[in-house]
Amino acid sequence: MKKITSAVAFAAVVMLSHPAFGQGFGFGAPISANTGIDISGTWSYGGEQDADYGTAAGSVGDYGGIPLNEAGRLYALAWDASRMTVRQQQCAGYGIPYAYFSPGNFRFWEERDPHTQQLVAIHMWFQTSEVRRTIWMDGRPHPPAWAPHTFAGFSTGTWDKNVLTITTTHLKRAWLRGNGVPYSDEATVVEKLVRHGDRITVFTVTKDPVFLDEPYSKTMINLRNIKDPTAWLYACEDGEEIVGRREDKVPNRLFGKNPYMREWADKNGVPLLATLGGGITTHPEFAAKLKDAGAAEAEAMKEIVPKPGPEQTSRAVNPDPNDADIHVWKVQGNVYLLIGDGGNIAVQVGDQGAFVVDSGAGKLSDKVIAAISKLGKNPIQFVVNTSFHPDHTGGNAALGNAGQDPSLPGSFFGGQAPTGATGFFQNPGHHATLIAQNNVLVRMEAAKLPNDMIPPDTYLENRRRKYHNGELVEIFYQPNAITDGDSIVQFRRSDVIATGDIYDTTRYPFIDLKSGGTVQGEISALNSILNKTGYEHDEDGGTLIIPGHGRISDEYDVAEYRDMIAIIRDRVQSMMDAGATVEQVKAARPTADYDTRFGATSGPWTTDMFVEAIYNSLKQSASAQAARN
Amino acid sequence: MRGLDEFSVITGNRRAVGLLLWAAAFVAMTGVNVMGQGFGPGGPPQSPKAGAPSDLTGYWVSVVVEDWRYRMLPPTKVKPPAPGIFGGGIGVPVNPQALKVALAWDPDKDEAAGEQCKSYGATNLMRVPGRLHITWQDDQTLKIETDAGTQTRLFHFGPTQDGGGDWQGVSHADWEALEGLQVPGLGRLSGIGSEKTGSLKVVTTKLKPGYLRKNGIPYSDKAVLTEYYDVVTEPDGATYLLITSTVEDPVYLMAPYQTTTHFRKQSDGSGWSPSRCTSR
Repeated sequence: MKKITSAVAFAAVVMLSHPAFGQGFGFGAPISANTGIDISGTWSYGGEQDADYGTAAGSVGDYGGIPLNEAGRLYALAWDASRMTVRQQQCAGYGIPYAYFSPGNFRFWEERDPHTQQLVAIHMWFQTSEVRRTIWMDGRPHPPAWAPHTFAGFSTGTWDKNVLTITTTHLKRAWLRGNGVPYSDEATVVEKLVRHGDRITVFTVTKDPVFLDEPYSKTMINLRNIKDPTAWLYACEDGEEIVGRREDKVPNRLFGKNPYMREWADKNGVPLLATLGGGITTHPEFAAKLKDAGAAEAEAMKEIVPKPGPEQTSRAVNPDPNDADIHVWKVQGNVYLLIGDGGNIAVQVGDQGAFVVDSGAGKLSDKVIAAISKLGKNPIQFVVNTSFHPDHTGGNAALGNAGQDPSLPGSFFGGQAPTGATGFFQNPGHHATLIAQNNVLVRMEAAKLPNDMIPPDTYLENRRRKYHNGELVEIFYQPNAITDGDSIVQFRRSDVIATGDIYDTTRYPFIDLKSGGTVQGEISALNSILNKTGYEHDEDGGTLIIPGHGRISDEYDVAEYRDMIAIIRDRVQSMMDAGATVEQVKAARPTADYDTRFGATSGPWTTDMFVEAIYNSLKQSASAQAARN
Repeated sequence: MRGLDEFSVITGNRRAVGLLLWAAAFVAMTGVNVMGQGFGPGGPPQSPKAGAPSDLTGYWVSVVVEDWRYRMLPPTKVKPPAPGIFGGGIGVPVNPQALKVALAWDPDKDEAAGEQCKSYGATNLMRVPGRLHITWQDDQTLKIETDAGTQTRLFHFGPTQDGGGDWQGVSHADWEALEGLQVPGLGRLSGIGSEKTGSLKVVTTKLKPGYLRKNGIPYSDKAVLTEYYDVVTEPDGATYLLITSTVEDPVYLMAPYQTTTHFRKQSDGSGWSPSRCTSR
């Protein structure tokens, strides 16, 4: 009887597990359960459609069907194919969805929990540029806004019948088309993969508030490889493609002066307007706009330069949570990011006391100290200030007083202080040691800040170094970048660099001219950072960067920032050479292709202030040069 | 079937187990019909319309992205070289005969002959920028009307008297299904049962010869068009219709010509603007 009962139970499970009885009942649930259709195997792009656009193809000035906004169009028109010779561009990975256009192969394989056989993730490997991708199927959330970005981004997926929906965030600035058409690091991509036999229809919708005026939706076909194609690698090493080029030179085209802008239009006998992109070019009604050649040409002329009018503001999400709390993120090795109190704080922990870079604005110092105390067993031993600015030094007193420097008691400083000494010598080692380039001390003393905020341990040139918590920590002076007292801090074994405001993912660099900052110094400082970095794979990973504000980055992100400043500098210089006043330069909007990512029309650092800083910095530099001559 | 035998051994009562498993199979097969076109649990057969696993009806507007230059810009004559698996750069795997026809393309001649709808045949109609209006003509027939070219396609889910021979040919439709009942522990059993995926599969034949593209790349009356229609919805609620097409033509193609096209759903018929076929 017991055996018969088992048989009944079996039959019941068979019956109940069938779709006739609904979906999702236990292990019999069919294609609507989290396993969906199996797409494991190797696939290739079905390349008949859009055959012109596989891999790094596409002509300059061929943007039709891409919903570029003004910033995106100007970015593409300013792109010079020689930009690919810049070291950090040479091996840059392919992003999503662009990777699907690769002429190479790609593979899906499943990762399942060995005990439950539940689907944990679907992995992808694209041959071209070796894009490694994980699509998490276990319901985990996406990382916070301050987490690093990669070319493949962070993806989660769900099945609905035969449709796999993939949502990707945390992408890097990459290409929608290999002719300079960008998407930004604010883009998100939703993919629908629909399998029909031996083909997958891929539908991607890219949303980008920075460079697109409508969602960019696109379909493509992937065909199943019956036989493993064996070609899976994509060797790339960067090198000096242009020998002797100055580090601060980034190939670019001035607005309205790209000599190849009409090449594709002329070759195909169509009006220039047809090639400039925009959401309207994807609408059926667009063809009618091209019938009046004169009107189309007039409209095109307006589209190839920044439009007069109000500046655009950043549409990027501010990674700072601004929730009156401190958030901790492990960067890598022994180094953590603390975000939430104004400027970013980097913390290295180990057997010795915590080594801290910058102390934030000081509004949440108690929470900062509490967070650091959870990371390591020892108090804060060192605090380095990357500049004197208050969003990086505001917590100096609190963090200093909460820490101690056990290297000092019993040393010369501990034993030789005269009776009645004050300040640092009064009680050496009983607080953390504050370190900075000497001009930080000078400027903070000039501002008559309290003594316990001012770093007493300073250096003048080149670098300071300490071997601390099992790794070499180097502090490099970056002259005349944001100010005249900037430092970056490199954790050698952890392979992390804290840059202070020299690199800032939330705004244009705050070049503080009156405190010694210059645009050339800023570009040099970014190049100095790039000369200390490496990547793990195709410009992803490797050395990680903690900016003064914003999200964790890597060298590609820093290079993009460097390129942007060098390009804007070139535009301003070009207008100055033509005799433009600062007001004329501002009115010409030389930052128009970057404003939707970094611009501001209000607050402490507006786009106008940034352009003025470049203008005046270049003017000072020219005056100094003339004086030398 | 080894699994069934093992199970019988475990129970020690083959007759009882057999009956139960057959009962399970019967219910499962009944379920097939629930999901397909047959019987519901205890009810009458469901029509393709009533049993539709996805809703294709409504107004849809082209999002012209794929092969944008060939679809949005005025057509230009194909330039040799051409034949090859990737179409020699033209994106269609044409053979030499097709190339010859394409090189002789003359839109004026087509117009004079009243053949300006040659690129509005079923193989290319969905690629023409415009709007679709999809409705159920009856329980067995899905109708697609286009404003561009003012064409109508009928998708027949059952037998039809339609003889074809016109631009839209004869289209047979079915909701795509994975054949075979999925039985836990036993895998998929072919021959019994199926599960709908939500996709509509349409096979079109008996076409009047025309153009795969406006610039005269030909297809013949031997062409077979196979399409899949999928409706997907974005997190923001935007709904899209995806069409995956394959044209096989032993006369003019060296390999299947595969494309994908998509439309965004409109809340109403705004923008609907019927227009005549044009050869340019």
